This record gives sequence, structure tokens and C-alpha cells, in this order.
Amino acid sequence: MDFLLTGLAQLSDPAVIAVMVIGAILGVVVGAIPGAGAAVTISILLPTTFAMDPLTGMTLLLGVYCGSAYGSAIPAVLINTPGSPVAVLTAMEARPFVERGEARRAMSLAYSSSFVGGVLAVLALMVMTQPLARIASNFGSAEFAMLAISALVLVIIGHSGRRAEATAALAFGLFLATIGIETAYSTQRYTFGIPSLISGIPLVPLVIGLFAMSEALVQLSSRSHAAAPAQLGGRFFQGFAEVFRYPRTLFGSSGVGIVIGIMPGVGEFLAQQVNYVWARKFSREGHLFGKGAPEGIIVSEATNNAVPPAALIPMLALGIPGEELTAMMLAVFLVHNVIPGPDLFLNRPEFVAGLYWTLLLMNVVIIVFLLFATRWIARAATVDRRFLGVLILTLSLIGTYASNYNFSDCAIAMVFGLLGYILRSHRWPLTPIMLGLVMGPIVEGRMRQALGGANGDFSIFVTRPISAILVAALAILILFTLRAELKNRRRAREDWQINDQ
Amino acid sequence: MPEPDEQTNRLESLLLTLIFAALSLALLLTIFVATRTGPAQAGWWTRPALAPGVALTVLVLANALTLWKEIASLRRSPATPAEWAEARARVIAWLRPVEFLAYFAAYLWSLKLIGYFPATLVFVTGLMWRVGLRGGRWMLAGALTALALVLIFRVGLGVWMPAPALYDLMPGGMRTALIRWF
Repeated sequence: MDFLLTGLAQLSDPAVIAVMVIGAILGVVVGAIPGAGAAVTISILLPTTFAMDPLTGMTLLLGVYCGSAYGSAIPAVLINTPGSPVAVLTAMEARPFVERGEARRAMSLAYSSSFVGGVLAVLALMVMTQPLARIASNFGSAEFAMLAISALVLVIIGHSGRRAEATAALAFGLFLATIGIETAYSTQRYTFGIPSLISGIPLVPLVIGLFAMSEALVQLSSRSHAAAPAQLGGRFFQGFAEVFRYPRTLFGSSGVGIVIGIMPGVGEFLAQQVNYVWARKFSREGHLFGKGAPEGIIVSEATNNAVPPAALIPMLALGIPGEELTAMMLAVFLVHNVIPGPDLFLNRPEFVAGLYWTLLLMNVVIIVFLLFATRWIARAATVDRRFLGVLILTLSLIGTYASNYNFSDCAIAMVFGLLGYILRSHRWPLTPIMLGLVMGPIVEGRMRQALGGANGDFSIFVTRPISAILVAALAILILFTLRAELKNRRRAREDWQINDQ
Repeated sequence: MPEPDEQTNRLESLLLTLIFAALSLALLLTIFVATRTGPAQAGWWTRPALAPGVALTVLVLANALTLWKEIASLRRSPATPAEWAEARARVIAWLRPVEFLAYFAAYLWSLKLIGYFPATLVFVTGLMWRVGLRGGRWMLAGALTALALVLIFRVGLGVWMPAPALYDLMPGGMRTALIRWF
């Protein structure tokens, strides 16, 4: 209890409150603009947070992260254009509501389920993180190495249908992490005598290039214009009470969102798909799914908003980011020499508790803002995509430069911007590159320590109980995935043979 | 994170994977040139080449697997003339972002010559003009955007920029103010 009370004291800092409000509002707005989104905004804001204290910087980024999860529902409902892939289901389910003149009801269903999902996930973060960190305090290098490897494997498994590409992207990120001076003997790796590579590939230019500049290039090449937003018909507060008529769907979706959010590499999209299929199967109104079912919106939004706070659980307790946005946030920690993991709760309890409260309060700020500003945000969502591209590209320069006051970083960002553009156009995943770059030093360092302690004997990973459990779980998961993959392939081959005949 | 899949051109994907596979193989083959061996008596797990070697081996294998999948798909159902034509158009489209990146490089270069605000103003309005956002309202929006960026980053956040050559032509007090704020 004392631990949580120390966090409340952090809220007396006006800077924290100010960035929480700014971050939340910015997040809602960028979440509502198709093509902007949390990844682009966080990558550009990242260098500016380096000058802030850790809690203020993290609050700003988390405001954008959480706010964008709410904001993506606005274009999905009012323009029938999902602001991000996670709003596809909301767009599909909300369309009949809008056609019936009940856009407000759909919006309030989305907002209230987002709020419940978001708040429950923050409560889970408050309850689960410290016990998990306490368990992790008994971990040695072998356990941390296996945890990091498990996270990497989950990232690959989470990219169903694109696993070979995800593996290549992850391996590329891991390779990028090895460029520069290595720590064991201070020798150079893959620098080819280029001075700017000696300190390695800098994170900020890579992130801005891959996520922001590539998006800008996509937007600049686009010709499409967003449609005008629909009229906000119906009653606003109807949906706020209505969500509680479906407690199983509401709390079940939030719960699954939390569990999947904790798992590295799986993400909101897959969590939503899994939840949607289950909810349709077990609902009494399952036949309405896809035709404007309130439960469809509830599943989509509650899951979507439960993931961001839940994704912080492994990052804070174990120091392992599970997806690109928490990996970006890890950079804020490292810049301020705040090392996430079990020791964080001993060394900086006020920071962790402060983070909990700001996240909880952030959900209230966002919902209040949305009640008043939905109509204006809907207008912002129709901004011309080419203008958005110009804006993102211009911001990319100042964002990259401000991270290190070095113009050569902008050249690195350009290279990754082009790479990101080409990969995007082929639907190759970008997130594994980023995770590889962030996780690479963790995996290499922990593996070296573990193997060094065992004199190079690999059995260290199966003789220590927790590590052995992780190895076994990973082996089972890989076997199941391979089996499912082979089954799918056999089925596809049979279908192809039937079609051929 | 997995996203809803869209149709991609198989020939274009094959070319891209071939490029990636060739590059990753070249990087793997240069491993003993690009890394040092470390002391002979030290354990194998401390070798500097180990981590990049593992990463590049996985990269080469993953690219080979992707390549094999793409070749198998093309062998099962060969590419149609329409697919070939689409692939050609799509590969040429790879150059489209290069034009925008060239403008970006020019913007970067001009910062040191004319300063942040003038360079941003020219870049934003010029790029908007290029992508078809013309007319008075758009140009005004571009100018206001450039001004807003200066206010946020240079005035608000105090992002430092090197003194550009253009400002040296200005009288003392004005030069100082321009360097500080613009």
C-alpha cells in the first residue's frame, strides 16, 4: 500500500499532469488519423523525452500509446475507415449502427468498452507486475537468456502466415545490434572502417526511419482522400450503460487482452481475432456478429485497449519488451539509466507506482476528452494523406537530429526509411527488426554470462529448473506451431490438387 | 504484429527476396574480415564473431526458406503476362520514394546553408506543391506548419542547430536572434 501511495505523490508534479493530458490528447488525435498512429508519433517524440525526467517522458509516450487505442475507433465508426489494423473489426461492426443513424451509440459502446479494458489492464499491471518481478529476482543469466529467447520465438510465432519473413526481419535486427564495438574485447564488428558505425546503429534513426519516414513515403505516394465523417446520430450515453448488459463479453475480452498483451510478439490484432471468434461462438447473439452486434464492438475495443498496459508487465518486471512500442519506451529507460527488471522495484519504487497512477488517470482524461471532442477529432481524421506525409517527413528530420545533434543520423534514418517503405509494400513485418535491435544486446550479454558461468556447457539451460521449464514450454510451443503449419500446408496442397483436377 | 494481408506480386517478392538473400549471404561470407577473433585461450562463447554469425546464419536460412516458398509457388502456377507487367511497374515504383528522399537530403543539406526556418518553409511548401497540394490555402497551411515547427522545436524545446552560412550575412544582433530562434 505504501508503495502505491508513493506513486500518488508523483502526481503532484504539474509537469507529469501536463504531459499526461498532452500525450493523451495527442494520442487520441493521431490514433484517429489513418496513417499517423502511435508508432509514428512515439518514434518522432522519442528524442524529446530524453530531456525529460523518466516518469514525465514515459507518461508522454504512454499517453500517445493509450490515447491512440481509443482514437482509432473514431474513423472506424464515423468514416468507416480503420485508423489502424486493430480498428478493422470495429469498422465492420459499427457500419450498420451508422446506417441506422446510431453512430453515437456505436461510439459510446466503443469508448466505454475501451475504458473498461484499459482500466482493468492497469489494475492487472498494478497487481501482477511486482509479484512477477519478485519471482524474477531469483533468476540468473540462464533464465533471463531463455526468457529473452522465448520472447523472440513468440514474436516469430505471432506472425502467422509470414513466419519466414518475420524470422528474417528478426535476424536482421539481431545482426544490426552486433554492429559496432562489442563489449568482451572492445573489437569492431561490421563497421568496415566507417567511423559513424563504431558506436553501433543508433536506435532513434532506425525507429524514425522504419516507422515514421517509411509511413511518410507511403502517404506521399497515395492519392486517396478520406470521406466526410458521418452524422453523430443517436444518444451518446446509451452505449455506456449498454456494455454492462454483456458482462461476460466485456470482462472476458479484457481478460484475454491482458493475457495476450503480456505475451511478447502477439499484439492487439491477434488478441482481437482470437477474442472475436470465441465471443461469436459463445454469445447468444452470435448470429448478429458482423451485422452490427454491440458485442462485436465491445470485443474489438476492450481487447484493443487492454493490450497497451498489459504489454508493460513483462517490460517492467523482466526488462523484456514484447512489441515495438514498449521497445521504444525501453530506450527512455536506458537513456536515464533506469534499468527495468526486478531491481527497478527496489531502486525506483516511486517511479513504477507513479507510472501506475498516471496510466489509471490517463484513461479518465481520455474518456472525458472524447466526450467533448469526438466531432472535432472526426474532422481531423479526414486530413489529406499527402499533407500528413509532408508533415511526418518534416518532423522526421528534427526528431532524428534532436536525438544526438548529428546530421549523419538523418542519413541513417533515410536508409531505413527506404527499407521500411519497400518492406511495407511487401507486407514484410517491421516490428521484428526493431525488437531484434533492442533485444540483441540483452540476449548476447545474458547468453555470454550464462555460458561463461557453465564453462560453455549448454546443459546449464536444462539443469536449472526455471530455465528448463522455459525450454520445455518453448519446445512444446514450437512443435505445436510446426504441426499446425504442416497441417495447413497439407490442406492447402489438397485444395490445390482438387482445383487442378 | 501480424496485419491483414494484402495481395503482393509474386515476381516482385521473388526479386526482393533474392536481393535480401544475396546481401545476407555476402555479409555472412565476410564475417572473418568484418570481425576479430579475440584471445585464443578464451571460451568459444566469447568470440566476437559468434553473435553476428548466428544472426546472419538465421537470416540466410530464413531468406532461403522464403525464396524456396516463392519459387515453389511460381512452379505450381507460373506467372501470367499480366503478373510480369505488374511486377515491372511495381519494381519501377520502388524509385518513387527515392525522389522524396532526394528532397529530404536537399532539405538536410540546406539547413546548414540557410537555417532551419527558411529550409523548412521551402521544403514543406515545395513538397506540398510537388504532391499536388497547390493553391493559396495549402501554401498558407505549409507556411504555418513551418512556423509551428520552429515555435515547438527551436523556441519551445530549444533544439540547437549549427549557425547557417546565410545568417553570417546579417548584422550582429539580428544574427544572434536568428541563430537562437530560427
